[in-house]
Amino acid sequence: MSKQPVSRRQFLNYTLTGVGGFMAAGMLMPMVRFAVDPVLKGEAAGDYHPTQQKVSELTETPVRVDFSYEQKDAWYTSEVTSTAWVYKNNKGEIVALSPVCKHLGCTVSWEGNDHKNQFFCPCHNGLYEKSGKNVPGTPPLKPLDVYPTAEKDGLLQLGKPQANNV
Amino acid sequence: MLNKIYDWVDERLDITPLWRDIADHEVPEHVNPAHHFSAFVYCFGGLTFFVTVIQILSGMFLTMYYVPDIKNAWESVYYLQNEVAFGVIVRGMHHWGASLVIVMMFLHTLRVFFQGAYKKPRELNWVVGVLIFFVMLGLGFTGYLLPWDMKALFATKVGIEIAASTPLIGHELKVLLAGHPDIVGAQTLTRFFAIHVFFLPAALLGLMGAHFLMIRKQGISGPL
Amino acid sequence: MHRGKGMKFVGDSRVPAERKPNIPKDYSEYPGKTEAFWPNFLLKEWMVGAVFLIGYLCLTIAHPSPLERVADPTDTGYLPLPDWYFLFLYQLLKYTYASGPYNIIGAFIIPGLAFGALMLAPFIDRGPKRRPTQRPFATGFMLLSIASIIFLTWESVVAVDWEAKEAMGKIVEEAEIDTSSDGFVVYEENGCINCHGDNLAGGSAAPSLVGTGLTAEEVADIAKNGVGKMPPGMYKGNDEDLAKLSEFISTLEAK
Repeated sequence: MSKQPVSRRQFLNYTLTGVGGFMAAGMLMPMVRFAVDPVLKGEAAGDYHPTQQKVSELTETPVRVDFSYEQKDAWYTSEVTSTAWVYKNNKGEIVALSPVCKHLGCTVSWEGNDHKNQFFCPCHNGLYEKSGKNVPGTPPLKPLDVYPTAEKDGLLQLGKPQANNV
Repeated sequence: MLNKIYDWVDERLDITPLWRDIADHEVPEHVNPAHHFSAFVYCFGGLTFFVTVIQILSGMFLTMYYVPDIKNAWESVYYLQNEVAFGVIVRGMHHWGASLVIVMMFLHTLRVFFQGAYKKPRELNWVVGVLIFFVMLGLGFTGYLLPWDMKALFATKVGIEIAASTPLIGHELKVLLAGHPDIVGAQTLTRFFAIHVFFLPAALLGLMGAHFLMIRKQGISGPL
Repeated sequence: MHRGKGMKFVGDSRVPAERKPNIPKDYSEYPGKTEAFWPNFLLKEWMVGAVFLIGYLCLTIAHPSPLERVADPTDTGYLPLPDWYFLFLYQLLKYTYASGPYNIIGAFIIPGLAFGALMLAPFIDRGPKRRPTQRPFATGFMLLSIASIIFLTWESVVAVDWEAKEAMGKIVEEAEIDTSSDGFVVYEENGCINCHGDNLAGGSAAPSLVGTGLTAEEVADIAKNGVGKMPPGMYKGNDEDLAKLSEFISTLEAK
């Protein structure tokens, strides 16, 4: 053995690294899995939240619809208020747009600041067309998110906002 | 590639002697269980350190979910134990580790005591070791309150009453621990959290550093 | 190694320009006496650690760490116990000459002497001899302390009814209770509330009434004739109210 001190030493080094790796893995695996759990949990399928807006009263002019629902954040449950701009497009389909500006998350409003037939964001003067499409040359890079819609007992229901493909 | 990076750093900072010194220092053969099986008693110190490392890591991960607030503490512990993947294991490691570290430390203390390894020149290291023991007991006591369940609250009340019976400074000590003259509640929990997570671990790391430095300097005591 | 005058440094730093060779120390000249910390010694240490870790993980999987119900400062029937490693101190305070007017002895003087002696052991036991048999006083006192710690812990453990203790701390299911219902009014007026609590979750003296699985008739029978620790004749009202009460209790379900 003493004739080959280097190879014995290397063998010990490899074994030591192996045992050390096993210990580190045994210790850290549960902890890391524990920490990344929110990432792996995935998003819950979006439920539709009821609003007080009657579908029959919707017109081609966007109206502001406020609604609130119960949100469960781990051990904390709270009432969250949300807003949508809702109108019927020329095909008669209901369109519900999220008011959150795709630039930096401010809140847009319909025909704000006298911008005819456009959504206006007051923070950096972002503009969107009625369809939610961002106007080129203004700060936003993407169209406004759109809510999936549903109807129940004549009242509008809104889901979780999704990317808009206009 | 790795070698080149190593050489680059070594040229500038001369790091070889730093780690070679640790890697090459001699360990006497009589502490190696492979030579004498009875030498397994020398493992208790290392195992104490190992459990301490696990405690620090699992504690760091637990604070990702835990809230030190009387309204949410229990809820968050319940959540992390029942809803989060591997929550049972991570909390279990921290919970049982607290007991194991006391057991291992107790055995380590007995080994050193019965071998007379604390005798000259190692007196100071023994004193530091006993201080580590106290810090560990303090960590156990303060950690007990954090889940804010029945056991936590009432055991802590008793502990604080014992502190209150200290002669002369009893009342002040009680208020200092509980944060309020009469209530064991919101302020007690945040205090115990701070002590458990920042103050005592800081003391523990300092003392452990001193403990290990002294072992390196003096070497392991010779065989009986 | 070059020292002193003529030494070369890396730039204007204090790092010597001369590289130290990265070669492990050779222990072959002392066969069997010493070995290198890395990798020889550490390998044995870590193998023990790996086995220990497996046992440790098995323990955490086999025994999920306990969590009792959320702290309720108003529940005075709860028996608090410290963690097991404090039980000996806890037991000490039960004895006559270590509590009451002598509390200072049990809470401070005895533990203070014990821990003080432990801390100052190297300065008390100063002889050069190291074998336990060669220092009978140190060994004797330590054995005595260990024996008393084990004895005190044992005494405190056998004094506790662990099943009852577990029941006290169990997480109880709470029901949505309609405190304006007729049944609850009867429950309150008859003093059931004193033992079974205002959310019917029970307490130290009585079990929870939520989700009992009993029919209304069975509840009425227990209210009149008692069961277990509950004496007969606790219910003193009329039969009409009893019907309301038993209906109310038998329909309680955890939410």
